[in-house]
Amino acid sequence: MATVKINGKEITIDDGTLILDAAKTAGFDIPTMCFHARLSKLASCRVCLVEIVGQKKLQPSCVTPVMHGMEVLTESPVVKSARSSMIELLLANHPLDCPVCDKGGECELQDITFKFGPRQSPFGDKKRRFNEEDYILSPVIVQNANRCIQCKRCVRICAETVGVGVLGSIERGAKTGETSFVREYLDCDHCGNCIEVCPVGSLMSRSYRYKSRPWDLKGVDTVCVYCGTGCQLTVQARKDEVVRVISKPEEGINNETLCARGRYGYSFINSIDRLLVPMVRMGNTLEPTTWEDAVRAVRNGLSEAINKGKKIGGIASSRLSNEELYLFQKLMRGVLKTNNIDSGSRWDTAAVKTYAEIMELSKGGLSIYDALNTDTLLILGFGISDENPVTDYIIRRISGNKKMNIIMASPRGMKLDNSAVLSIRHNPGTEGVIIGGILKLIYDKNINSLKNLGGKDYLKDLSKEKVSDITKTAWQDIEAASGYIMASNTITVAVGSDVLRVPSRIEFLRMLIEALRILGKDVKLFPLFDRSNQRGALEMGVHPDILPGYNFIDGDGLGADGIIDAASRGEVGALYLAGEDILSDFPDGVFAREALRQTKFLVVQDIFMTESAKMANVVLPGVTFVEKDGTFTNQEGRVQRLRRLFEPHGDAKADWEIMSAIGESIDPSFNYRSASEIFDEIKKSLPLYSGIIFENLDGNGALVKGPVSSSQSSGKWAVSINLKRESADPEYPFTLITGNHLYHSGRLSLKADTLYEILHEAIVEMCGEDARKLGVSKGDKVKVKGKRHEAALTVRVNEGSMKGVVFIPENFTDVPVNMFFTKGEGYPKVKVIPLGRES
Amino acid sequence: MFEPVLLKNINTPDSFKIDSYLKNGGYRSLKKALEMSPDSIIQMVKDSGLRGRGGAGFPTGLKWSFIPKDPTIPKYLCCNADEGEPGTFKDRAIIEKDPHQLLEGMAIACYAIGAANAYIYIRGEFALGGDRLEDAIREAVSKGYLGKNMPGSNFSLNIYVHRGAGAYICGEETALLESIEGRRALPRIKPPFPAQVGLFGKPTVINNVETLACVPHIIERGAAWFASIGPAKSPGPKLFGVSGHVNKPGLYELPMGTPLREIVYNHAGGIKNGRSLKAVIPGGVSAPMLTEKDLDITMDFESLAAKGSMLGSGAVIVMDDNTCIVKSALIIHEFFHHESCGKCTPCREGLDWIVKVMRRVEGGEGKEGDVDLLLKLCGDVFGRTFCPLGDGAVMALRAAINNFRSEFEYHVSNKRCMVNGRGKVNR
Repeated sequence: MATVKINGKEITIDDGTLILDAAKTAGFDIPTMCFHARLSKLASCRVCLVEIVGQKKLQPSCVTPVMHGMEVLTESPVVKSARSSMIELLLANHPLDCPVCDKGGECELQDITFKFGPRQSPFGDKKRRFNEEDYILSPVIVQNANRCIQCKRCVRICAETVGVGVLGSIERGAKTGETSFVREYLDCDHCGNCIEVCPVGSLMSRSYRYKSRPWDLKGVDTVCVYCGTGCQLTVQARKDEVVRVISKPEEGINNETLCARGRYGYSFINSIDRLLVPMVRMGNTLEPTTWEDAVRAVRNGLSEAINKGKKIGGIASSRLSNEELYLFQKLMRGVLKTNNIDSGSRWDTAAVKTYAEIMELSKGGLSIYDALNTDTLLILGFGISDENPVTDYIIRRISGNKKMNIIMASPRGMKLDNSAVLSIRHNPGTEGVIIGGILKLIYDKNINSLKNLGGKDYLKDLSKEKVSDITKTAWQDIEAASGYIMASNTITVAVGSDVLRVPSRIEFLRMLIEALRILGKDVKLFPLFDRSNQRGALEMGVHPDILPGYNFIDGDGLGADGIIDAASRGEVGALYLAGEDILSDFPDGVFAREALRQTKFLVVQDIFMTESAKMANVVLPGVTFVEKDGTFTNQEGRVQRLRRLFEPHGDAKADWEIMSAIGESIDPSFNYRSASEIFDEIKKSLPLYSGIIFENLDGNGALVKGPVSSSQSSGKWAVSINLKRESADPEYPFTLITGNHLYHSGRLSLKADTLYEILHEAIVEMCGEDARKLGVSKGDKVKVKGKRHEAALTVRVNEGSMKGVVFIPENFTDVPVNMFFTKGEGYPKVKVIPLGRES
Repeated sequence: MFEPVLLKNINTPDSFKIDSYLKNGGYRSLKKALEMSPDSIIQMVKDSGLRGRGGAGFPTGLKWSFIPKDPTIPKYLCCNADEGEPGTFKDRAIIEKDPHQLLEGMAIACYAIGAANAYIYIRGEFALGGDRLEDAIREAVSKGYLGKNMPGSNFSLNIYVHRGAGAYICGEETALLESIEGRRALPRIKPPFPAQVGLFGKPTVINNVETLACVPHIIERGAAWFASIGPAKSPGPKLFGVSGHVNKPGLYELPMGTPLREIVYNHAGGIKNGRSLKAVIPGGVSAPMLTEKDLDITMDFESLAAKGSMLGSGAVIVMDDNTCIVKSALIIHEFFHHESCGKCTPCREGLDWIVKVMRRVEGGEGKEGDVDLLLKLCGDVFGRTFCPLGDGAVMALRAAINNFRSEFEYHVSNKRCMVNGRGKVNR
């Protein structure tokens, strides 16, 4: 601890605290321009200079730590004059075109000038001008370099956090300009974080340009719907039209950082395609109707199914709120007496249950920052840089400042590979075998300590050759990974939802965790989900074998795959899809369509007329995340508030209201008036949530808390691990995998103008070697042909990807990737034919 | 007459070749040093009183002693051969005419601090110098003086020549490190100082060419001999590059502390064309100028600092009474304005503003109050910049105005030059 005097006020503070922070603690505000709490230190703007008694020169408080006995003056005449003259110098070449600058009203330069700066300046010469007109730097950025004050925050965030590094300086001295080096459209994440950190109007948001002044905006703090990271957003609207999404520097795990989807994915809210009235099928058409009639039609349809002894199923989107998901399962289980429920239709239902158990989700939440307080971070089963960009940003930023081994296992090259000590490339769906290989090495070296390891018999069959043969990963990589893990005291294993798509032999992970714990290591488990409330859906029990609060059962309920299977046989009398479009999602589009055709009564609740909605008997218009209250639980297990910004569009209703109305039509006691009322019920039935107060949830949310001592079962091996290698088909040499694209998530993002502009045609990604072998390069058209489906796509090359793997995002309506899949056959095999050279 | 030390070889035929260097006793000091302990070498350099010749005058032995002794940490020596200060041409003579003297000094320094790799950061314009150094390194390696297992020891050293791409800021030691690492040359935050976190994040010593060239002589002739030359606080031989309006411009090796008057009038032959001296810059253009009345000053770190100027690189620039100080000040300021790296606000914006005012004052378009404005801007910049570049720029200008304020005022009020009567200049 150091005791220092700041402007005469004595405070005692941690050694190494920056003078800037110490002064803030003591209650003195020092202005800054280049300083940014989560970027490397620059100390170049010199606005924060302070006087240290006994030192000749003024010192930058943003990089100078306090020392015991130091006496600092932040308000002395010399400091004030230096500060004022520094602002004057910043303004000398600044165009002072505030009236036409988008930043007006929230400009840091404007603010510090008013607070600390000179009121007039003797500067009367011609100002420096880089450009006469603003120019477009990327689909999201407009630049006016004349306003730049050289704080280099944009350059730093792009390189250090986003990991793209497309911004830099050209020229030097007074001519220094921050830009892309090529002054043409940037090829980057389009995350807009450079715009967010720009203190002046040099980098501006293209979509928000000239839309509003900040004081005319009405906004709420809420959570992003696009992925499991759970970023805090501030959604701002002018006259009920959302015009901008920003994020606050000191709130949420994302701390101001967002990705392209979070920042620009909002315009689906105001889309003209939104469903605004309930509709009921009359013959071949869906006709608008009243809520009363629509709910009556739903009740009748459900009752008929029950009366006829048919199955009822319900599939809800993992983008609905906790309250809605809880209500959904309560409606299905309590009112309609069925366990046939699931969240989403992309996953293997059994794999989800195994995953929830192995990842110890019932033990409660783990903050990402705690998860990253580790020696080794193993990431697998997730295209993390594309799926959850801000998780990728956080990992990059944290790992840049501390010693930590990142092992990145994925079939595709990931941006995070650059931060990794080891990148493992493996065949799709073999994540568990990679783990098995690592485990095998650890087991062989510690046979005595691990003699009681549950399931160790499975390791007998697992030879080095077998692992390499199945995974197509070099054995040295597996050895290196086990080396890093064994040299670590703390190991964080982050496993993504890709292991849920096909059975991925993830049971080996349970053994690895147990083995490492026996060997005295601290193992942290961190789930990675691509949907914003996937974890919430599991906690609320939207799964046939998971009751709310992770009460695992071996019941007779069907998951999405089972429901669709049963439906195809004509066994399902009524199916309720809440926000879920199985025709786009279920990995066998043909089969899903046939199943819906065989379903007697289909209710679809959604915000758009999805493919599934077009086949529905009743269509119920739900609302977007800014039109309702509620909570999301992100992948960490952090419960965060959704807040209503404005009334629902048209006659649409919050999804929980619709569910409540349907329930009430059958059982009058099923009656809820607010999201917080439902949350209170959740708290009562789920100990995980019992400590959380809905009204008190702020920007940092609250982690769900599991039981203090939780005994996880081990050695239970309900599933046998399949160690057969997939047979190769020379005619179809590529394995097709899918997932979300960096700029898209589900199908929602296609309705967001900016994201649509960034990427609106379906692409196929392959590794450089395969592309060269095919004689194609970025931008070329190819035909991807599987056994059931074919599509023309534009090539993207990912040099870091696995050979023989192609990736088509699941986000494009015109290339529905699920049409390539055949139920029960895993990842499809395809061939790639350069267009014009079809054979 | 002072017998040259650093320049003793430069007039011998093929002085840059190793054979010639060896004939004159070259690499004897290295052999001697390799038989000594590194600590005793550092102590010897400390005792000699050698201070950095790049401008700052930091005690060299002390700088070396900051390097951690842990043998497992890689360490580096960087020789600053970016000689960019206008008026300076001392290091160039050593590099081109006697490169082995530098290499020998570097080898001894590396042995003393435990560096197995060293870089010579040479300005790109010194094409011949760069070639000579590369040739010299090759020669020294082939004769076994550099490379693996140097004479009588198991010490090994690689020296690399790194050519700059033309930026004054690269002479700033941390910007120099950034440049070697392949990044944009911008100065780094200190602390940490290079002795802790330097090149590639490892402990690093950065020394000027002339400093390192002194080292073999200290080893050969002893610390006491070196300390006996010149004043006690700044001892040793010093290279003075005299340029401007003198009869014999050139490079003179003289003891530290030689009076400026002696340098200008005795060695450099006095002012050209029988004119009188108006101003003299004693240590490169960053050093505030002096006038006739200051000529008796002795040329060493302390005396010049006491006068508000600095020894800098020892580049003496003489201006006769026919020189327009306003124009000279502008030319000097244009240099700093051009060379500012742009990292910090006061240097980037302050020098830009000053150059705008200076151009109009010099060009006969000055406004009332401009001279005061210039002084205000100098005050806004001074002491607040990230590195010393901006300080040097405003110190030079401030001295010009303070010594010759009436000339600046004359430019403003009469719209023409006081010295040559020229009016508005076409630029």
